[in-house]
Amino acid sequence: MLALAAAQASAAPLTVRVVDSNGRPVNDAVVSLRSGPASRPVPTGNYSVSQKDMQFHPFVLVVPVGAKVSFPNLDPTRHHVYSFSPAKQFELKLFARDQSRSVTFDKPGVVALGCNIHDAMTAYLFVTDNQWTAKTGPNGIVRFADAPNSAGKVSVWHPYLRAKANVVERQLVASERNASFTVALRSPPMAMSDGY
Amino acid sequence: MLRARSFSASGPVLRLLATAALTCASPALAEGTDILSSQTLSVSGTISLAATDGEESWLDGGFGKLSTSGTKNGDLRVIPMLSEANLIWQPRISWAISGTVVGTFQGGERNEAGLSEAFLTYKPMRGATTGFSARAGLMWPPVSLEHEGADWHVRDTITPSAINSWIGEEVRPVAVEGTVSSQLGEHKLTATAALFAANDTAGTLLTFRGWALHNRRTLAFNDQPLPPFEPDDVGYQAQHTHPLLDVDSGFASRPGYYAKLAWQMPVPLRVELFRYDNRADPEWVNEDLEWGWHTHFNHLGLAAELLGTKIRAQAITGRTRMGYAEGGRRWVDMRFRSAFLMLTHPVGTVGLAARIEAFDTHNRGSWWGSEYDDSGWSATLAGKRAWGPITGLLELIHVSSDNDSREGIGIDPEQSQTRLQADMRLSW
Repeated sequence: MLALAAAQASAAPLTVRVVDSNGRPVNDAVVSLRSGPASRPVPTGNYSVSQKDMQFHPFVLVVPVGAKVSFPNLDPTRHHVYSFSPAKQFELKLFARDQSRSVTFDKPGVVALGCNIHDAMTAYLFVTDNQWTAKTGPNGIVRFADAPNSAGKVSVWHPYLRAKANVVERQLVASERNASFTVALRSPPMAMSDGY
Repeated sequence: MLRARSFSASGPVLRLLATAALTCASPALAEGTDILSSQTLSVSGTISLAATDGEESWLDGGFGKLSTSGTKNGDLRVIPMLSEANLIWQPRISWAISGTVVGTFQGGERNEAGLSEAFLTYKPMRGATTGFSARAGLMWPPVSLEHEGADWHVRDTITPSAINSWIGEEVRPVAVEGTVSSQLGEHKLTATAALFAANDTAGTLLTFRGWALHNRRTLAFNDQPLPPFEPDDVGYQAQHTHPLLDVDSGFASRPGYYAKLAWQMPVPLRVELFRYDNRADPEWVNEDLEWGWHTHFNHLGLAAELLGTKIRAQAITGRTRMGYAEGGRRWVDMRFRSAFLMLTHPVGTVGLAARIEAFDTHNRGSWWGSEYDDSGWSATLAGKRAWGPITGLLELIHVSSDNDSREGIGIDPEQSQTRLQADMRLSW
């Protein structure tokens, strides 16, 4: 969860579980709750997407609007990180091991990351203005400990989710404190043979 | 009349490297330039222990399809080998231009050292939906679904398929290649086209020896031995072949081409179509009796993933012609084809691979006729595990084939070989 909510007049934990069509937990799904007026999350702490073993880590990172994200290169080779996403277009030339550059993400939206040198590298930043946003772990579960105890709308986003804009959502009634989503995922794209 | 002129590719390749070196030496180095540092140099190597039975390897003057041989009696023979060592230099001239130069030593039945690849890559910043890249120099065309990395090592097994073994030994020209890739929704299309030279002899080894399965690459300017000719056949063709050779007068006076289309679908399936034609004149010959071989082939590659199992398949069909026409047929007119299916699946930290393949050649030349046809099949099982920079592999391969040429050295045309080999690869 991005930031601890201010003390709510009426709060109750909300647990959201995301599984695929075979009932297996879905990792890296971003769950958002909209329930009444939401506070804009405040960037705190350090946010980073590293490059190690020719992959971005993590694959999905949730950050608040205004977050400054560093891109440390931990590989012994160079990376050329870029994004063409409307939420943020940038490119970073990362020269060497342990070098790091930062980018500030000032608009909400999904930012798809790539490396111009290594085409198989892919990752996603989920930039949000909603404090009730978090991503699932390997157990497919997100828990908002201080969620408003009221009706709302929960959305689930995943880069491979089979839906328009990769998002599904549904309404929650106030008494529903455990929500479950079953989503259909596309298979991850296969890396093209660009190793020549 | 024989045209006794030849042109080795060594001149153009050396000029290309010299140009790259001069560019690198310029005092006004571009942003991102890194010519020589720990990041531009790497080494890789493989030590092996192989237990092989059966006939003598083609590397030792026989018709054995593996790179190692059994004993004189065809019994099991165990040999340790320094299979290969590579020194890889990948200078970066700018963010868009880099180089790859690989020097290789290969041991085992035949020790040799030389240049594997030397090419420049141009890859500017891609657009939102379209990317462009280009390569120029000495390099393998993008055919193999089994090889990866700058040292072009085999990813999942020790021994590559017959198709990619042949690519490694006879299909590595000096080329200028361009690639455009485009993202169309969830589909990705990639088109590659290249002009090349110095590959006029491709098909020689495949015709006289037949197919083989081995991870030895032909090093630049080195030759490959041909099986012994029968006395009546001596004098037409040198007893060796240089796969990197322009037989015609003048470098690239009649360039060949290759082209590839790849389609990556939203489901985990990729289809690749590849076409190669060296456009060599079958009547070209140099003073060493190395001929132009007009070789062309079509290739289909498939890569898919299902329930965690990766499926790869390649199929090739082609034709090569050499020499003068007599009675309406060239001296050599050989059609070749091969296909394999490979499955790989991780089990814990071990990657398992299984491959089955078939291959054959059909000779209809006026000199080299159907009595030299080669056909066979092979099955391979392999396991792989990585410990940091070290990768261990264990492979069991069986190959069975029928080739009447074997009668010339007094052995049965039908032969089979089995090998168990353990490799330890180091990459640093």
